[in-house]
Amino acid sequence: MSNTITEAEVQAQIGRQFPGGHYTIEPWRSWLVADCLGDDPYADVPHPVLAWMAAVGGMGVSFDEIFQWLGGSADDGPMFGEHQTTMHRALEVGATYRVSGQIVSAERKHGRRAGTFDIIGYEISLHNEVGGEQVATCWNSLVLPRRSA
Amino acid sequence: MTIEIGTKIPPYEVASVSAEKMKTMAALLADPNPIHWDTRITGALGIGNRPVNQGPLNMGYIMTMLNKWAGGRDRIKNFRVRFLGNVLAGDHLRATGIVTAVRQEENRRIAECNVILQVVGGDEVLSGIATVEVGP
Repeated sequence: MSNTITEAEVQAQIGRQFPGGHYTIEPWRSWLVADCLGDDPYADVPHPVLAWMAAVGGMGVSFDEIFQWLGGSADDGPMFGEHQTTMHRALEVGATYRVSGQIVSAERKHGRRAGTFDIIGYEISLHNEVGGEQVATCWNSLVLPRRSA
Repeated sequence: MTIEIGTKIPPYEVASVSAEKMKTMAALLADPNPIHWDTRITGALGIGNRPVNQGPLNMGYIMTMLNKWAGGRDRIKNFRVRFLGNVLAGDHLRATGIVTAVRQEENRRIAECNVILQVVGGDEVLSGIATVEVGP
């Protein structure tokens, strides 16, 4: 466990950009996701959870790498805190999205039972590869335990 | 369909969360975490012999409820949830929601909703809010 990172060092990561990339909602991907969720796999519009899947799939960095940026690892027991998806326009089957994102917040907290932990916010945007319109914004928070901080 | 403050969204139920669909989802997400498919790992971690459902699937059940209610997958405009607990294979889930506000926005009707995903007979595992287009 690598929990010696200071609050200032964590906050220095605010603004750090993800490498980014692209994500295509292939028809087979849309079908399988809808089927996994008990929704209609034959519907024309992809399931909205694919906005988040596209964001993570195209952000260009793994969660393990993000944990390393923040002085931690999967062994520390990081957890998802909250998630928000804002849709600016509908997803489309077959469309390719340009994915970009960054760390937007970092806050150290102390709980009587949970001990010291950091709440890290990051935001990822999807833009149409063709046309450039913004399609979705996904925000997520990670809870990183800092047991020895 | 009459939608007003207090309207209850028809619940969406998953009678038994499927370990097989978790495997499909792990491949779709390229998620290397074995807690979603390897019960030797979940046993060693003290979670038991049932794999843990992915967060996007849990969110997706609530979205599916909203899609079916509002009449399309393009109706959710904003969706925010807090993760409260794990869902395990075999769990019986129920997604529910209630309208907290309704407004007209240009040529569309917008409903604000509180939403929950709960293990039937157990705890809430997700709770949050959603903004949904419900008509012209």
